[in-house]
Amino acid sequence: MIELRAVTKQYAFLKAVDNVSLSVKQGEYCALLGPNGAGKTTIVKMLLNLTWPTSGTLMVNGLSSSNASCRNAVGYLAENHCIPPHLSGWRYLLRCAKLLGLHRHDAIDQCRKVVELIGMQGREHTKVHTYSRGMIQRFGLGSTLLGNPKLLILDEPTSGLDPIGIREIRQILESLKHRGMTILLNSHLLSEVEKICDTAAIINCGKLLLKDSISAIVRKGETLEDVFVRLVKG
Amino acid sequence: MRAPKKLSPIIKIAKYTLADEVQHKSFTVIFIMCALFVLFTRGCYRGNVLVNGHWLDAEAVAWKVSKMTFHIIATGTMFVTALLSMRVLKQDRDEGMLSCILSKPIDRWQYVMGKILGLWVLSVLFMLILHCIIFLIVLMNTGAIIPEYLIASFLCSFNLLFVILTVLLLSLLMPDIAAFLCLMGIGIISFLAEGIYAIAHSQLMQGMTQQSYSYPDAGPARWTIAYYFWPKLSGTQQWASSLIGNEAFHGFGPVHPLVNILFYCLILGSFLFWKFRNTDF
Repeated sequence: MIELRAVTKQYAFLKAVDNVSLSVKQGEYCALLGPNGAGKTTIVKMLLNLTWPTSGTLMVNGLSSSNASCRNAVGYLAENHCIPPHLSGWRYLLRCAKLLGLHRHDAIDQCRKVVELIGMQGREHTKVHTYSRGMIQRFGLGSTLLGNPKLLILDEPTSGLDPIGIREIRQILESLKHRGMTILLNSHLLSEVEKICDTAAIINCGKLLLKDSISAIVRKGETLEDVFVRLVKG
Repeated sequence: MRAPKKLSPIIKIAKYTLADEVQHKSFTVIFIMCALFVLFTRGCYRGNVLVNGHWLDAEAVAWKVSKMTFHIIATGTMFVTALLSMRVLKQDRDEGMLSCILSKPIDRWQYVMGKILGLWVLSVLFMLILHCIIFLIVLMNTGAIIPEYLIASFLCSFNLLFVILTVLLLSLLMPDIAAFLCLMGIGIISFLAEGIYAIAHSQLMQGMTQQSYSYPDAGPARWTIAYYFWPKLSGTQQWASSLIGNEAFHGFGPVHPLVNILFYCLILGSFLFWKFRNTDF
């Protein structure tokens, strides 16, 4: 589903991603972990062609990430997701659905299902500026589910949410597991990652330190947080 | 009829750009103010005007006023278009729509094309509605129909395209306000240069210079060459307005102003697409 081969991204004086090779199979819930500035968001942006690798190749759905068609079945939730404040949640979802090329009836139908899934019935027609951070995040997550994507790329989906909001997002993600969806989850909340994801890739200073199943990474008596700290702090 | 596959996202982005801009209160306020200003001029079309003891023909006054308001509207719309264009990309980036759109199966050129189209349609409509008001006022007060007025308005739309492309490109390279000021600078120089050129080539000035000095023919001065190549915003407007009433148009330089503007649009458009394609988001 996702394949990175020897990917490097060099900014003027900084190597944000350093020779990373990584693959995520279909149906896999993979967490991309790392401290701030480790290069996680850069990898996500390269996958979506929002930025380009200095060297190496990135494949999404078997196509090069520079090919717009590879994003046909990809849902993306950006870090600190925003929605234009003058729109309502419904208008935003409808806009996203139409940009995916869905016809009006299909778009409306899918938006209804998504509103139900994210639990925002009754609030979807109010303007976004009246929403809380958690509600915006839910609509953001909802927009990624339009068009029945096979792959979700979520960059800090729980950022700024309270514990209840975090739990709700987790429940939505868990419910998607049955649909055979692939998820690349970029998060700091290791306890949540441990509950949701099957595998984890740990990155530090642009280098991939480890990628394995969470059950293999976490030894008995340890948590993912312990492993993370051990690996990152060396 | 469905739009072709490549065209469909462009039309959607254009539609959303238009809708987003119209939603802004500032846009509505500017539009209402402009419409009121235009409506106030209707007093000029009523009654006769006495100049130096002679009554002027009401129709002649109407033509003059119409031409004057034509220029004011065309120039004012360029200003409004620059204001609208300068914040479009930044706003999309800040409000998350840029990454939302680009993470979908939409190419960057389609996004830029959609933005340009949306802004262009909006600004052309803005100008056309104001010009239509004048058109109707003239029709109602004098009974005269000036179809050239609307043709001239359409021709001025290429100036608006130039403004949009320039501001969008500059807003990728510098802060929005600096992009706006640069465009203003280009516009002011264009209008001043046309004025100076027109004065320098007036019969009065020609006669004065011939009486005072007789220079040997040393070819065109540097400023003249720079003038020929400067974006002809004022020139295009003058040419368009010359169509109203079929007045003679004395071309400014060897290149037609419209060709000059279209050439700049092509160059700026190419740079804009290239720059946007190579920008990290």
